[in-house]
Amino acid sequence: MDTNQSPDSDPPTETVSTDGGLPVEATESTESTLQRWRRSELVKSLPFWLPATLLVGLFVYGAIGWNFIISLTDWQGLRRVTYNPAEFDLDNYFEFFGKVAEGGLLGGPQEYWAFRNTFVLLILFTVVALIVGLLLALLVDQKIRFENSFRTVFLLPMSLSFVVTAVFWAWMYNPSSGMINEGLRLVGLGAITQNWISDPQFKLFAVIFALIWQFSGYCMVVYLAGLRAIPTDQYEAAKVDGANTLKMYWRVIIPQLRASTTSAAVVLMVFALKAFDFLFVMFGTQPGRSADILALMMYREAFAGTANWAYASAIATILFVMALGVISPYLYRQYKRGAL
Amino acid sequence: MSDKHSQFSRRTVLKTSGVAAAVGLAGCTGGDGGDGGGSGTENEVEVVHWWTAGGESDAIQALIEGFESEYSDLSVNNNEAPGGAGSALSTEIQDRVLQDNAPSTFQIWPGGSLQTYTESDVLADISDSVWDSEMEDAYKEGVRDLSQDDNGNYVAVPLNIHRLNNLFYNVDVLDSAGVDPSTLSSPADLLSAMETIDAETDAAPMAQSTQSAWTVLQLWEDVLVGEAGVETYEAVLESGVEENEDAVRSALQTVVDYREYFNADAGSVAWDEANNDVINGEAAFMHQGDWAAGQYESSEGFDFEDSWDHVPFPGTEGVYHIVTDSFVKPEPNPSPDATDAWLSYVGSVDGQERFNPIKGSIPARTDVPDDAFGPFLSRQREDFDNSNAQPATIAHGTGVSPQVKSNFEEAFASFAGEWNVDRTYSDLTDAF
Repeated sequence: MDTNQSPDSDPPTETVSTDGGLPVEATESTESTLQRWRRSELVKSLPFWLPATLLVGLFVYGAIGWNFIISLTDWQGLRRVTYNPAEFDLDNYFEFFGKVAEGGLLGGPQEYWAFRNTFVLLILFTVVALIVGLLLALLVDQKIRFENSFRTVFLLPMSLSFVVTAVFWAWMYNPSSGMINEGLRLVGLGAITQNWISDPQFKLFAVIFALIWQFSGYCMVVYLAGLRAIPTDQYEAAKVDGANTLKMYWRVIIPQLRASTTSAAVVLMVFALKAFDFLFVMFGTQPGRSADILALMMYREAFAGTANWAYASAIATILFVMALGVISPYLYRQYKRGAL
Repeated sequence: MSDKHSQFSRRTVLKTSGVAAAVGLAGCTGGDGGDGGGSGTENEVEVVHWWTAGGESDAIQALIEGFESEYSDLSVNNNEAPGGAGSALSTEIQDRVLQDNAPSTFQIWPGGSLQTYTESDVLADISDSVWDSEMEDAYKEGVRDLSQDDNGNYVAVPLNIHRLNNLFYNVDVLDSAGVDPSTLSSPADLLSAMETIDAETDAAPMAQSTQSAWTVLQLWEDVLVGEAGVETYEAVLESGVEENEDAVRSALQTVVDYREYFNADAGSVAWDEANNDVINGEAAFMHQGDWAAGQYESSEGFDFEDSWDHVPFPGTEGVYHIVTDSFVKPEPNPSPDATDAWLSYVGSVDGQERFNPIKGSIPARTDVPDDAFGPFLSRQREDFDNSNAQPATIAHGTGVSPQVKSNFEEAFASFAGEWNVDRTYSDLTDAF
C-alpha cells in the first residue's frame, strides 16, 4: 500500500509532462492505442457514472421494462411466469380499457370508477392545492411579522407521514366525535354535518381535502421562492403606472409565477397518481367504488390474495404512462430552454 | 514510467472499487427477497404467522414452547408477518413461493384461501404423514373438508376455531329496554328488538363498523343464514347469487334496515372501537366473531353473564359458522420432516390445549379437555359439539376462492355507504 501511495504524492510537474503527449509518441504504436483508450475522457469518467447508471438502469428502467413484459403475459397465481414472445398480447390492456369504456355517468365496473376517481383526484387536488398555496404565499410575502414561523407552520404537514395524517384525519372526520362535525355544531352549522368518510358522496372529496391541507404548504414554498425572484422594481413600476394592488398581482406578479406553477403542478400531479398510502391507511384495500383509485386497484389485484400479476402490471404500466404524460411536456420545455 | 504505473493503479483501484460497490449493492438488493428465509437447517421449522397482537402472540408462543419441549431436537424460527388477517403475510408468502424460497410452514385460512396454492401445486399432500386416523376422528366433518384440496387430499391442519354467528349484548342495556335476547329467533325479530331499544334507551341498538367491507359482509352472511338457512347459504357459496336472488336481496335489505340502528360513527371506526360502545353501555348488540369477547374479558368490572352475554345470531341456532386458522406444508420444503412434526403437533390435543384458551378460540379437535377454557369458551364448545352445520365463510376466506372473496369485498365496500340493494345485487352477480 505504502509503495503504491508514495508516487501519488509526487510533485505534479511530472504528471504534467506525461500528459503533454511527447512521451507517448516515443512508445510503440500498439501500446499507444491502448494507452490512448485508457486516457480518454470516457474511460476516465467511467467509475463515476457507470455504477450509478448500471444500478438505476437495472432497478428502475429494467424493472419498468420487466413490468411491461409481465403485463403482456397471462401470469396469474403462483406458477412461474413463462415469457413466450409468441403469446405476448395486449389483452390485459384491452380488458382494462374495455371495462373503463363500459362505465357511464352513474355506473360501471370498478375499473371505470378507479380510472375516473384517479382523474378527479389528479385535477381537483392539483388545482386547489396550487390556488391555496398561491394565496398563502401572497399573504406570507406581505412582510408580516413571524413570517418564518408561519412558513414553518404551513410547511409542517408536508413533513408528516401519510400514515399519521390519514389516521388523524379519520379521527377528525368521525361524524359523532370528530373535530370537523363538532366544530360545525359549535358554530351552529349542525345541519351540514355529514358522514364525511363513509358517505360515498363525500368520501373522495374528504380525502382530497386532507391531501390539499398536506400539500398546499409545499406549493406555498415554491411560490414564495418565485415571488422573491421578482425584482422589486416591477412592483414599484406597476404602482407608478397607477395599478391598484389587485391589478398589480393579476397582471404583473402572477404571470411571472408560471415556472413555479409548472414545477409545483408536476410534483403534485405525479404524487396524485400514486396517492396510495393515504387511502390505504384510511380504507384498506377496499375503499368502495366512490374512492377507489388505480394505485389501490393495482395493489389489490396483485397482493390482496388474488395474485393477478399480469393484470396488475398492466394497471401499473397505465399509471406509469399517465405519469410520463404529466412529466414529459415539462421536461420537453426545460430541454427547449436549455435547462437540461 | 513509475509515474504512469501509479496512475494506472489509481484508476484500477477506482474502477475496481466502483465495480465492487455495484456488485455489492446488487448483491444486497438481490438478497433482500430472501429475508428471513432459506438459512434454516433441516431441524429448524420456520413458522410464518400473523399473530402479533397481545393475546395472539402469547398463544402462538405457548404453542411453540409446547412443540419445542415435545420435540427437543427441533427448534422453531418464529417469523411474524404483522398485518391484520394476513394482509402482509400473503404478499410475503406468495413472493417467497415464487422465488422457490418457501418457509417450512405458514398460517392460512383453510378452504377457499388454499386455492391459490393448490392450483399451483405448491402444497404437499399430508394425508399420510400427518393426518392419521386418530386425528381424522377428532375433527368434525365441516372442518375436515376445509383441510382438503379439490382431490380430497389433506393439505392443511386447522388449529383453532372461531365462531362468526354471535350476537353479543350488554346485559344492562337490554334489561333497561326490556328485551329478552333468548326470544329472538330470526333476523326480523332482532330488527324489532332494536326498534324497542332505540325507543327505550339512549344506547345505539347495534354497535357496528362499516369502515371496512368485511364487517358488513360477515353481517350479511349471518343474516342470510338466519333468514334462508344453511342450505341456501352454502348454495350461494357454491354457485353464486343468481339462483337464490330473493334470499340474497332480502338479506341485503335486512342489513339496510339494521343500518338505521348502528352507532352514528359506524363508518369511521374499526370494529374494536365500535365494540367499546358495548362495554361502555352506549350500544346494546354487537355482531362479531368471538374474538370480540377477548375485549370484554379484559375490561375490568365487565363480567360474562353479569355485564355481557351472548346468543347465537337470531335464526342461526344449531349453526357454528366457523372461522379457522391452519398451517400448511409448502413444497419444496426446507425442513420436510420437521414440518410434519410441527403439523402433527398443531393437530394434537396438547398443542390445541395450550394455544386456544389464550387465543380465545375453541380447539379444532373435539377431544381436548375442557378444564383450561373459561365459562364463555366452554359454552361455545358445547354449542360446537351440538352443532348440526359448520358452514365456511366468505369474509374469512374459507368458503370461496380469493378472487371471489375479493369481488365480494369490492361489492360490500360500495354497499357500506351506498346501501343500495339493487346495485349491490348486480355487483354480486359479477362476483363469481
